[in-house]
Amino acid sequence: MNEGVSASVTAAPSDEDHVRDVTEDHGASAVEEPSADDFRHARTLPVDDEWYKRAVFYEVLVRAFADSNRDGFGDLSGLTDKLDYLAWLGVDCIWLPPFYDSPLRDGGYDIRDYRKVLPEFGTVADFVELLDQAHARGIRVITDLVMNHTSDQHHWFQESRRDPDGPYGDFYVWSDDDTRYSDARIIFVDTESSNWTYDSVRGQFYWHRFFSHQPDLNFDNPAVCEAMIDALRFWLDLGIDGFRLDAVPYLYERDGTNGENLPETHAFLKRCRKVVDDEYPGRVLLAEANQWPADVVEYFGDPEVGGDECHMAFHFPLMPRIFMAVRRESRFPISEILAQTPAIPENAQWGIFLRNHDELTLEMVTDDERDYMYAEYAKDPRMKANIGIRRRLAPLLENDRNQLELFTALLLSLPGSPVLYYGDEIGMGDNIWLGDRDGVRSPMQWTPDRNAGFSTCDPGRLNLPIIMDPVYGYQAVNVEAQSNSTASLLHWNRRMIDIRKQHPAFGLGSFHELGGSNPSVLAYVREHVDVDGHRDVVLCVNNMSRFPQPVELDLIAWKDRVPTELTGGVPFPAIGELPYLLTLPGHGFYWFAIHEAEER
Amino acid sequence: MPATSSPDRTPGDPLADLHDALLAWLPQQRWFPAKGRQVAGLRTVSHAVVSTPGETPTVEHAVIGVSFADAAQDPVGGSAEERYQLVLGVQASPPADVEYAVIGRRGEDVVYDGLADGRISRQFLALITENAVRGPLRFVAEPDTEAPIVGPGRPLIGEQSNSSVIYGERAIMKLFRRATAGLNPDLELHRALGRQGSGEVAPLLGAIEGEIDGEPMTVAMLQTYASNSADGWSMAQASVRDLLAEADLRPDEVGGDFAGEAHRIGKTVAAVHLELAAALGTHPLDARGAEEIEAWMLERLERAAAAVPGVAEQRDAIADVLRGVTTAGPSTVQRIHGDLHLGQELRTPTGWLVIDFEGEPSKSLADRVRPDSPMRDVAAMLRSFDYAAFHQLSEWEQSADDPDPQLERRAQEWADRNRSAFCDGYAEATGTDPRESPELLRAYELDKAVYEVLYETRNRPGWVSIPLRSMRRLLTPAGRGER
Repeated sequence: MNEGVSASVTAAPSDEDHVRDVTEDHGASAVEEPSADDFRHARTLPVDDEWYKRAVFYEVLVRAFADSNRDGFGDLSGLTDKLDYLAWLGVDCIWLPPFYDSPLRDGGYDIRDYRKVLPEFGTVADFVELLDQAHARGIRVITDLVMNHTSDQHHWFQESRRDPDGPYGDFYVWSDDDTRYSDARIIFVDTESSNWTYDSVRGQFYWHRFFSHQPDLNFDNPAVCEAMIDALRFWLDLGIDGFRLDAVPYLYERDGTNGENLPETHAFLKRCRKVVDDEYPGRVLLAEANQWPADVVEYFGDPEVGGDECHMAFHFPLMPRIFMAVRRESRFPISEILAQTPAIPENAQWGIFLRNHDELTLEMVTDDERDYMYAEYAKDPRMKANIGIRRRLAPLLENDRNQLELFTALLLSLPGSPVLYYGDEIGMGDNIWLGDRDGVRSPMQWTPDRNAGFSTCDPGRLNLPIIMDPVYGYQAVNVEAQSNSTASLLHWNRRMIDIRKQHPAFGLGSFHELGGSNPSVLAYVREHVDVDGHRDVVLCVNNMSRFPQPVELDLIAWKDRVPTELTGGVPFPAIGELPYLLTLPGHGFYWFAIHEAEER
Repeated sequence: MPATSSPDRTPGDPLADLHDALLAWLPQQRWFPAKGRQVAGLRTVSHAVVSTPGETPTVEHAVIGVSFADAAQDPVGGSAEERYQLVLGVQASPPADVEYAVIGRRGEDVVYDGLADGRISRQFLALITENAVRGPLRFVAEPDTEAPIVGPGRPLIGEQSNSSVIYGERAIMKLFRRATAGLNPDLELHRALGRQGSGEVAPLLGAIEGEIDGEPMTVAMLQTYASNSADGWSMAQASVRDLLAEADLRPDEVGGDFAGEAHRIGKTVAAVHLELAAALGTHPLDARGAEEIEAWMLERLERAAAAVPGVAEQRDAIADVLRGVTTAGPSTVQRIHGDLHLGQELRTPTGWLVIDFEGEPSKSLADRVRPDSPMRDVAAMLRSFDYAAFHQLSEWEQSADDPDPQLERRAQEWADRNRSAFCDGYAEATGTDPRESPELLRAYELDKAVYEVLYETRNRPGWVSIPLRSMRRLLTPAGRGER
């Protein structure tokens, strides 16, 4: 229990029956939650304990991907229609940001009903169809689950403010004043001035780590924990392959702490993991914890048992440092953050990304580094958002094909599972004139036709405008045109994904940085030995500089082996006693397989 | 071992049969500095067998003396005889992978550079961990450290003045090629800094000590190896290239701005100074001490003026600035690095390391270990930023008739920005801004520039414009202090 905070709460309900009893006593409207048994279940894929380590993830915003019913809003059926494209590209797992019923004041992260699909997106049945069709193509689907808070329009919150003594009275964090937990930082500094907001209906303040329309759930109430785990079970029963747990460090609040990464939060995650392991083997939990790697590894759980919290967690600080390293023409921003990244449990995996639906977050950099990133990548103040830069990959890199390829090669070869952001595979642009982070959420550009092939509705009805500028506009940048040209960025991305899949070392292998005398060159070896003793060794060499560079690498451990370049299969000179000399073009990179001697 | 000048060979000199082979082999070694000089003779100064009887290969340690015909004409003051250390492997049929290191034959045996042999480097590492004594060599493990037990060492390629072997990216053993009586300051200062718990140097793991002329001599030292590192010079070059490739951006506007690193280097050097002061003490510099330093600087000026007309023309003006050492008022001296430049700093994923505390190679050991002002190191770093800024230009100018004043101005902006960032970092760590002692700093900087002019004139004429430009700048009032 969260003693003292909720001033006017009676005994907390501890199980569902009790909830109903209390509900009836007070005449309140406890909703009968739908059950998974009310729906068809999707076909399932064979259980594979390591799929998430090898997978290439692809983040899709449902509302921006494909509109099947001409309402200007992308929907689940539209996405189902595009599964063949994603299968062709080589995507292993689609990550969908929240598609739940929501007033959409925070892109759907303000959930109004955990068991209902946003009507614009379709129905639970549409989701099951998507899942079924994705599984038919070997593609898995995960989605966001926001556990920390709900929309203020959620039935639970409406009941909680109306009836402090009712079944939901203790579902949120209430207080008579706004002074507690003052050590917790404010995250959305652009819009919020306090983590407390006064509710005139209940006459108390409620706690919110994010927007004031997103009250935090009270996880000290066992009924909240139960309700959340039941929400997980609902989707897992339908066949979903896992969840990205949004805003996971903030579940609990404690005086005298910053309210992040508390032991109680970890204990609850262990409970969720146990449900997954016991009831839904092969499904995954991915933590969104925008923290330093040393704190994030806690979200993998106990290394002694191979990890017993989340299977995956995003590596947030790596991403800005990739951008920094290339601008500085120095490998050290990347070397530094990887050296600071602790080992992770055996069954854990990082999720790494270049861009996503949020701003390019600069929370995990120093003040100096942040100034630097703003100066280099957000020359227009409109490009900034909160503590970050709201731009897509291609405009960030000034549409430089060499840099786009280098960045993607890094994403596909650094330790972790890569998460692509929809549209970046064709080099889509952004629209900094749209509010908040909508600038990077514009409709997918499929064709040069009306509405970029995203929808056949009247153009004025589109949820967000299509990018129309001369460089990134849909007539220049679209899937159809790039599908027809094998030299396109799209085809290049597809080939690289395919190469990645041929080498388990990329997903499963160890990581060893080689160093080397040239500070502009980042070189590393990924190495994996499978159960049959087959050794897969991949050497990656990346030139962070825009100028051609030589590098001498110490490859003596692979003496007499022949490195084979992976995109073309060309054998390079055998490794000898002396340092191995390579020359790279500006922003160039190489991937080599180093085969066992006897395989040559 | 009795010492006799070659070519008169002493009976019983175990290297007698090898003298001709050594004379041919030495000039091919990167660590042999006098490639252009005329070798007059070679003698064996000392020789001992290090391996125990029956061991294969036989390992020998030797010091040879090389005398030069042109010693008298050498303007940098090279002495008549230089002494070098050798570790030799001796075996009738050595393994094929040491073939490239063969020096010659002695009877039935092939004699080769022992550092190339993984068996020998592995044995040396083991002997250090055992604190063993073999012949005249004492192998010493650094207390409270643990050298990694890894396999054979592998010679490091591309080294300049010494020879090193690397043990599995974990440790590095450096054999000091120049044989000098006394404790090598590189070992001495690494030991002192290590015992201060310094995070600014690669931790010392052990050493090999020997004897020369009846005095102790440092043979080799073993340190943790910073495998993933790049030196400050190459990083600064990347930054300068990035700047000069832009049409008109200023150094703080280009992506490759180095000021953040320069600031960190300043803090690192300052931390080393504080640790050296804590470990080995500081002394107030009295008037006599200051005069000694001034005399030393003026003497060096005379040598440079004699060899370089550009220096001779400015001789009096330079001397005026150098006298700043005595007129600047009281200061303190301590042990310093003595030969600092961007190439002596290594960027690792966790920060910067300072390496190579041997001191300026042209000085005697007594001069190298004499306490001096930390300003000498600071000035040397400021000089190094100048070098980094203008090096690219000097490469281009060799083909151009006139230096491009626009490029020169931008290179100067890079130097100013990074010199300033270095001083900021230094001041942040010590609480004392070197720019608050402008006379002292300027004297040390000019002293260094004069030495550089002489050095470049003799060794790298294409680079001489860099110190000459700085020298002129330091002699004009605008050159006072840092922006």
